Amino acid sequence: MSLQGAWRWVIPGLLAGWLLAVSGCAPRPEPPLTFLIAGDPADEAAYRTLVAAFMAENPGLRVELLNIPSVRDFQRRLVADFAAGAPPDIFLINYRRYGPFVASGAIAPVGPFLAQSTELAAADFYPQALAAFTWQGELICLPQNMSSPVIYYNQDLFAAAGLPAPGDAWTWDEFLATAQALTRDLDGDGAADQYGLGVEPTLARAAPFLWMNGGDLVDDPAAPARLTLDAPASRAALAWFVALQTVHGVVPDAAAEASESSLSRFLNGRLAMYVESRRAVPEFRLIEGFAWDVAPLPVGKMPATLLHADAFCLSAAGKQQAAAWRFVEFANTRAGQRILARTGRTVPSRIDLATDPAFLDPQARPASSRVFLAAIPAMRSLPAMSTWLEVESVVDAELEQAFYGQITLDEAIRNATARSAEFLR
Amino acid sequence: MSVHRSAATSPRWSPHLLRRAQLWLMLAPFLAGAFLLIGLPTLLTAGLAFTRYDAIMPPVWVGLENFAAIFRREVFWIAVRNSLLFALTAAPLQVLGALLLALLLHPVRRGVEGYRSAVYLSAVVPDVAYALIWLWLFNPLYGPINLVLAAVRLPQPLWLADPATALAALVIMAAVRVGEGMLLLIAARQALPAAFFQAAMLDGAGRWSAFRYITWPLLLPWLLLLLVRDVVIGAHAAFTPTLIMTGGGPGYATTLLPFLIYEEAFGSLRIGQAAAMMSVMFAAIGLFVWLVFRRSGGWAQVDEP
Repeated sequence: MSLQGAWRWVIPGLLAGWLLAVSGCAPRPEPPLTFLIAGDPADEAAYRTLVAAFMAENPGLRVELLNIPSVRDFQRRLVADFAAGAPPDIFLINYRRYGPFVASGAIAPVGPFLAQSTELAAADFYPQALAAFTWQGELICLPQNMSSPVIYYNQDLFAAAGLPAPGDAWTWDEFLATAQALTRDLDGDGAADQYGLGVEPTLARAAPFLWMNGGDLVDDPAAPARLTLDAPASRAALAWFVALQTVHGVVPDAAAEASESSLSRFLNGRLAMYVESRRAVPEFRLIEGFAWDVAPLPVGKMPATLLHADAFCLSAAGKQQAAAWRFVEFANTRAGQRILARTGRTVPSRIDLATDPAFLDPQARPASSRVFLAAIPAMRSLPAMSTWLEVESVVDAELEQAFYGQITLDEAIRNATARSAEFLR
Repeated sequence: MSVHRSAATSPRWSPHLLRRAQLWLMLAPFLAGAFLLIGLPTLLTAGLAFTRYDAIMPPVWVGLENFAAIFRREVFWIAVRNSLLFALTAAPLQVLGALLLALLLHPVRRGVEGYRSAVYLSAVVPDVAYALIWLWLFNPLYGPINLVLAAVRLPQPLWLADPATALAALVIMAAVRVGEGMLLLIAARQALPAAFFQAAMLDGAGRWSAFRYITWPLLLPWLLLLLVRDVVIGAHAAFTPTLIMTGGGPGYATTLLPFLIYEEAFGSLRIGQAAAMMSVMFAAIGLFVWLVFRRSGGWAQVDEP
């Protein structure tokens, strides 16, 4: 090789070495915080606004929002991220789903961060929401919202049937009579074309009715060892719930539901009442064909409803926990929660925002948003345990069949009790 | 030629060795892929089957506990039964359908390519699209299947919405996907010497006799191969439709093993138990293939009469 040939390599070599040296010396920017949520486009837009507001106030920090639209896929993604050793720094999760992650130590508890915060205090939040995210005495995640199932109803269909708006304390009987009056066979072919009610045949939807009837789901909510759906008060409530479809036919049957979901029927103005939590509001605000509002669940022997809540959790394996906490802290200040409340998606978990116009905006539907606030004192949580979601899915598989008359309620209860036993020990 | 020349320049490489080296070189990409995508995951799965592992904490060795646990679980046996039922009904129907269509479409006629393409098209449709199409076909009120049944006054099942018919619906959906099998059997049928059929016809054999004594026995090895392939694929390929169309329900009516394994691993974070189920399924399929192989005396087909 000639000298000239050798020189051909020296200059690029020096250049490469210089580049390496420079890149090694330059301060490398921190990677962005990753924030994983599961939501529809309206949710995603709301959280993008929140992230943008945070980054505007904290120029040194970047947050990368990742939205997995389906809740099931979200859970799988989260597991895969943890398995790969690259979990998101922050994730938003429902208290019914966070059990397995707490139990395996995947979450860094927010309790110590909250205790040292100058911006936030535990007293700012509804105790029911904090309780749902407290595991063995320690606050694990910081609740962002708290909701409960309510009755969304089509005001136009009520008016057309000459029915008054539901009262604040309507009974189960009045509720059923209303649903019956709103179930119509319009073309006289013997099949209903308009249904009075749409409700998912799940344990979560049935739970408030069991509690209102004086029953319970499990023997000991603090340390459940057995389902108690066969106890008289629980069974009676379940029988009433199932009869809405099997006996009264006010809910679409299996064929009708498989052909078009209750949600779709409600959106298309062919289903009068639909049971859902606050999460439906952004989508329902897009409805143009009819007017709608919310009403409380009908009242049983005692007031009771089910808490729905999502919280911000920090990954234990996260390398920027302090920065991640700053985001969670910001998101739960008055300003942060107002951003999310304005989208309609959430009932704020902050007590001081309950009467804030961001939530109780008289111009925005639903007009009766106070229904969500009125339900708070009667809210109950589902048991906090790592296998609770599996108990629910076992019960749901049976309850659905009973609801559509494919097996008897007692068969469903027997199967559910037997099959859930392995998850309740 | 080139073999001889290179052998001459490097005396240590005999033509035989060189040829073997070439073969290995050509096999290498496949072997590397098979090891990375099949071999390694299989070994990992087999290892995880003996651990308690939730994807978050490191795996803990538990010996045979996972196997004992899954054998105790009712839902595992339900899934085994469903999977067997599915694979053992869908596969024979698939092979039968492929055979009928192959016999119908193997003669070279005007426009036959069009029919063959139409049948083969179902094999090209992606699984997810195929599942969504059938979700509409099976719609109990507005789906074309039930509209036709209603028009001819036959009972209209709820298909996927009824635990009694949901698995049957999945079998129907899998059984009509015969494009690949048909293509294979057309090739096999066209390879049968025409002289056999001409001789038979001279002897006065009808169409049925020709099929019974010539086509059937000569196609049998192919049919067996297809059947084994469809059973093996059927045992795990029903994952996409269950995930998209039924979620394993109603109840556990369409909970097939692959779906249960997926739910156990990524839904319930019991990756150890899921790996144990996977290993059992893997072993069962291996045993099945080995048994068929033994019984049939190998796959070799003697084309020479």
